[in-house]
Amino acid sequence: MTSTAPDLVAGFPFPFPNATYRYSTNVEPARGVVTTPAGQWGDAVVDVDAEYHRELDERAAILEQDPSRYAVLPHMDVACWDAMLCLMRELALARPGSFDLEPVAGGARPSYRWRNRLLDIDHTFVLGDPATLPAEPLAWITSQVQEDVVLLDQRDGTLFGDAGVVTFAADWSFGFDVGMSFLEIHGPVPRIHPEGVITRAHEFLKGLQPGETYRRTNWTLTIGRRLDVSTERYPEWGPDRAMVRTVDDDAFGRLVHLRTEVQHLVRLPESGAVMFLIRSYLLPLADLARVEPWRARAADVIAELPEDMADYKGIATYRHRAAAWLRDHPHH
Amino acid sequence: MVSPSATSVPPWAREPHVEPADPTGRTHTLLVVGPGDGQTGTAVRAVAAGWQEELGAAPVHRHDCADAAVAVDALHADLAVARVGHRVLVAGTAEACLAVRAAAVRAGLADDELRFGAVAADVRTVWCVHCSATTTAAVAAGGVVACPGCARSLLVYEHVSRRTGHHLGFMVDAEDQPWEESA
Amino acid sequence: MSTTAPAPTAPRTATPPTALPAPGLPAPLGAGERLALVVVAVDDSVPGVRSLSLARPDGGALPSWTPGSHLVVEVPPGAGRERRLANAYSLTGETVHPSAYTVSVLRRDPQEGAAGGSAWVHGLAVGDTVTTTAPRSAFPPVQRATRHLLVGAGIGITPLVSHLRSALRWGRDVQLVQVCRGGRGAHLDEVRALGGDRVTVLDGRAALAAHLPALLADQPIGTHLYTCGPADFMDAVLAAARALGWPESRLHLEHFGLAALDPGDPFTVTVTGGPTLEVPSGTSLLEALEQQGYDVPHLCRQGVCGECRLRVAPAASTGVHHRDLYLDDAARAAGDCLMACVSRALPDPATGRAHLEVSP
Repeated sequence: MTSTAPDLVAGFPFPFPNATYRYSTNVEPARGVVTTPAGQWGDAVVDVDAEYHRELDERAAILEQDPSRYAVLPHMDVACWDAMLCLMRELALARPGSFDLEPVAGGARPSYRWRNRLLDIDHTFVLGDPATLPAEPLAWITSQVQEDVVLLDQRDGTLFGDAGVVTFAADWSFGFDVGMSFLEIHGPVPRIHPEGVITRAHEFLKGLQPGETYRRTNWTLTIGRRLDVSTERYPEWGPDRAMVRTVDDDAFGRLVHLRTEVQHLVRLPESGAVMFLIRSYLLPLADLARVEPWRARAADVIAELPEDMADYKGIATYRHRAAAWLRDHPHH
Repeated sequence: MVSPSATSVPPWAREPHVEPADPTGRTHTLLVVGPGDGQTGTAVRAVAAGWQEELGAAPVHRHDCADAAVAVDALHADLAVARVGHRVLVAGTAEACLAVRAAAVRAGLADDELRFGAVAADVRTVWCVHCSATTTAAVAAGGVVACPGCARSLLVYEHVSRRTGHHLGFMVDAEDQPWEESA
Repeated sequence: MSTTAPAPTAPRTATPPTALPAPGLPAPLGAGERLALVVVAVDDSVPGVRSLSLARPDGGALPSWTPGSHLVVEVPPGAGRERRLANAYSLTGETVHPSAYTVSVLRRDPQEGAAGGSAWVHGLAVGDTVTTTAPRSAFPPVQRATRHLLVGAGIGITPLVSHLRSALRWGRDVQLVQVCRGGRGAHLDEVRALGGDRVTVLDGRAALAAHLPALLADQPIGTHLYTCGPADFMDAVLAAARALGWPESRLHLEHFGLAALDPGDPFTVTVTGGPTLEVPSGTSLLEALEQQGYDVPHLCRQGVCGECRLRVAPAASTGVHHRDLYLDDAARAAGDCLMACVSRALPDPATGRAHLEVSP
């Protein structure tokens, strides 16, 4: 039994272009369509899929319970307006029938009419005037996109993660990391420092020009269809890593999910901030195995992954079973 | 495999280290954080004396403070009237230096306006990511401390917040816990 | 053309959905995409300075830009210009979805050694087409500043106009000090109207020298300083700031009006896997590679834009003499890259040989 909607399989961004996985500065221009054996992904910077309402409800519930998932340092006000305008524009590009951003003439400051037909929103606002919005700009727009958002301020040759809404973190704490530099945030990740991966990424991001948009992917395994695997809630989901070793094969294939993060990197024009969008996609091994090239490739990559990387990803205790499961479940 | 230079933990918060004073500053606030005549108090005063010698005739506002909270108050008072060209030097334990750094960063100072002299680095303030309680204890990064808020055993992670100066602590044995059947 | 909006639960189709630009807003630009713009207005009211307004041929909104950004304008060969030039001019108008890009260009006389780009701009007329890059940002306001102190001279006011406008729009504390000979110059009426008593206009460098030390000595500690103007002017402003203890993190300068670089010493270069080439004095590495048919991406030819960055094999090279304004100290210290338009080989101190091995 699986509950995965067909469009979630067809649109799944399978993250393994090669037979082995290592960290790399794997950035490419955004909006390029990637064709996969199951369908395609990548045409939009913000992606709206069958989970739109459910994920937005989940984000609202998480924020209600733990407000630290939303943080804006005081100097990030301009970046938040910038991010809102950019995300509205991207939604309108992705689904012109569902979303619409229209400039409104007149006035000293730019004004816009925003329509989100999926949420029944039709609202006109003045850029920079908080009184014309129903909520703070970053809070409002992140209640309308499935992506997590981190805004990086650039100063003194360094990017700082000074604002964001992150409710679907994969094993990190945005509330703790807010205010840190890009390099500091990634401090605990093994291998990326001696190999220069992260400093190259940092240099690349610093050089992004206004409006330029790139993307990369990252991945891990997650037990259950659980978007919020934040460090905050580790006591809730940590035990699953032991639990999953004890379940039978059928349950294992349904519980263990390949989790792909599609990350978009956008230089916001007005503030000069870099917007990091993190969209998390989850696909159970049982569905992954129905797509033969995905099954074989994922088995190879997960089996070969060096131990320190598996350990950092938190999958060391069950990844060999996951690889074996995939090898043993060819689709007929 | 993790490069010390790339993490959020400043070198002086790993092991005691005194950064040189910045002679290009026009004026300076010197925060000497350490009570009394004990080992720490003596050591921080020696650091302060070294910096004052390095700075020669430059105006230095020196504050001898019993603890980090007093130092933060003194810092805020000085910054309220400070002009660009001002520098801040902090002598104390690594834990005190991290606490004062957090206040300075929140007040908008840049890294090139701050210098630290840490005389000891064995005590850490650990923030529990699960319940937000903090605890201060003599514990190394990689060690375990009990959370006073939720009673969980916390792994002290090699990760420090700029804005609070706290180390990240998270449940060390979550994966050894009994799981719920419904999971 | 009509498309039916897919419901959120609809399966994806095999063909990509058509991305229709929302009405009036610009489509996303591709990497390195050039803009073909039309001159819609010229303003010659300030002697020697021409302000141009450039718009999309269809009149639609242009991409937004960061305050302090510039536009690189392509100047075609001709009228004494041997090759195409790419001149950078600061944008001065509205930053958010503007209907036009405006730049102001000081005429520099080719007979006094200018390359001829500004003279070409001064010859443009309404209706002419101009090719530009998208706006490029190299001089942005620091969001964390609690106060922005802008110090300009002459045509160096241009990037500061957008800084002033941005600070006022977003409620940031700002002060502009502008030096103009005779108290006249481009954009002065505009910035006075915008900034009121936040704007001080000084007549000449002597007036600035009298004003600057007291100004720089009395800025609240959250202040950032931005300066633009002739190189010797910026040097003087920055030297005064440093003498008063300003840290580098609070100092920002815009490198236009660059002094010409010296011709440099000859050296040799190998493109990995290719032959060894001579780079004579007075020829840049970029020019030497172009003459051999290599296609090196580039824009400014002044070491500013970062486009012509090449990788250097440190072990096979004698050292890099960095002369650009783009790479930061860490990138220079690594010794594994350089900007081909201005930087050269450093000779080996023992042998005197000067050689680089580079790759794209």
